[in-house]
Amino acid sequence: MNDLNNHIVSAFDRELEGIQAQIMKMGGLVEASIMEAAASLETRDIELAEKVRAGDKVIDDLEDVLNEEAARVIALRSPTATDLRVVLSVMRMSANLERIGDLSKNIAKRTGVLVQMPPVGDTSTSLRRMAREVELMLKDALDAYIQRDEALALDVIARDEDVDKMHNTMFREFLTFMLEDPSNITACMHLHFIAKNIERMGDHVTSIAEQVVFLATGSKPDEARLKKDKTSTTLGPQHTGNGA
Amino acid sequence: MYDVQTHRAEKDLIVNDIKISAKNVQVHYGDTHAIKDVNVEIEAKCVTAFIGPSGCGKSTFLRCLNRMNDTIDICRVQGEILLDGDNIYDKRVDPVQLRAKVGMVFQKPNPFPKSIYDNIAYGPRIHGLARNKAELDEIVEKSLRRGAIWDEVKDRLHAPGTGLSGGQQQRLCIARAIATEPEVLLMDEPCSALDPIATAQVEELIDELRQDYSVVIVTHSMQQAARVSQKTAFFHLGNLVEFGETGKIFTNPEDPRTESYITGRIG
Repeated sequence: MNDLNNHIVSAFDRELEGIQAQIMKMGGLVEASIMEAAASLETRDIELAEKVRAGDKVIDDLEDVLNEEAARVIALRSPTATDLRVVLSVMRMSANLERIGDLSKNIAKRTGVLVQMPPVGDTSTSLRRMAREVELMLKDALDAYIQRDEALALDVIARDEDVDKMHNTMFREFLTFMLEDPSNITACMHLHFIAKNIERMGDHVTSIAEQVVFLATGSKPDEARLKKDKTSTTLGPQHTGNGA
Repeated sequence: MYDVQTHRAEKDLIVNDIKISAKNVQVHYGDTHAIKDVNVEIEAKCVTAFIGPSGCGKSTFLRCLNRMNDTIDICRVQGEILLDGDNIYDKRVDPVQLRAKVGMVFQKPNPFPKSIYDNIAYGPRIHGLARNKAELDEIVEKSLRRGAIWDEVKDRLHAPGTGLSGGQQQRLCIARAIATEPEVLLMDEPCSALDPIATAQVEELIDELRQDYSVVIVTHSMQQAARVSQKTAFFHLGNLVEFGETGKIFTNPEDPRTESYITGRIG
């Protein structure tokens, strides 16, 4: 037997490497968009926010290119086994990355509104920390993809719980600010949407990590992670009697 | 209500009877050890594909299933091959009778230099399956219909079989093979000399034949194996490396050699 890593038809290798390089490029742009969106919020930097909004176009275009190339590989090469999983996982991951890009763009849009209002406590710093956490998860998920590292991917999936916890905490904090002073409501609603966006990014990163497990093993991770985000069932402090 | 667990469980539950059971089969051609201790169970009403690189032993093994290797002097077959529980290599088994039960279709269409009618009628005649002309006519029509070629030849049954197109000749050979009411149909690269349309027609026919027969097909086209078979066996250097459900073999094989072969990494 000859070298098991390479196809006999070397153009097939080049095409698979090509789409994987594209997804990494897309991943890099999305990582940057998360961090820049969060930084623009904290530093109230309109120009940076504008850059994030404009940059989303490139991410969207990359998704289209990836889908076209993946379809081309399926049509021309009939990939099987690991090759098929590479193509399928790239298609799913590109959809997740594109959604994260949209969420960054949405944060940048809200930054544009929030700079016109006074800051609410140091919540934007907490949001940036939360975004940093998600960005690190994404970085690890992409590293796990390249290394076909199932353990690292499972670690990323587990860490999404921390992001959910941060979101729960932020949600309570916003409720408190709004109860204290109703003039905070507009800003807090925007900030809460931002927190929710970051929490959703974590879910998309989790889904990317699941694709890594699928790629490495041929099946999705067994156990459904327990749902730890409780904001959809949370009552305000005035209803639970533990006050703000 | 739709339940994915039930759906998967039901898909897994489809289990057919075992038609052919091969146990510790070894084949030698002179000094060459061509098949090394192969164990496999072939199901009834199921298409089983044998895949593997050239010289891996898949055709040799296929030919063991109806004792075609008997005709080669230097070929030695050891082990047991059971058809419905009876060893086909038992001394009391008549290979001619066996081959009526286990029919074969070859790579190149090989109709007899006779009429279309006589091509089909030959087997039933020598095995005494028809008592009179009317019965024979019936067998010929039924076989040609099952061979999905009746409509194309019904008006020229007495024209020579060799005058048909390649794809038609191959379907004629399949019809000829099923005229003796076999239980198993062996096919050695049945589409490699056919164009894509004729290939699709033969593949469609194979899928229909599965209702009644156990079909074993050797093919170099992995896509064909994926399309027509329910079970796939991968042979490499005379070993049966992996045998399993076709969908599994092509999406998530267990053995790295299978993976390398189906993804185009070893030839």
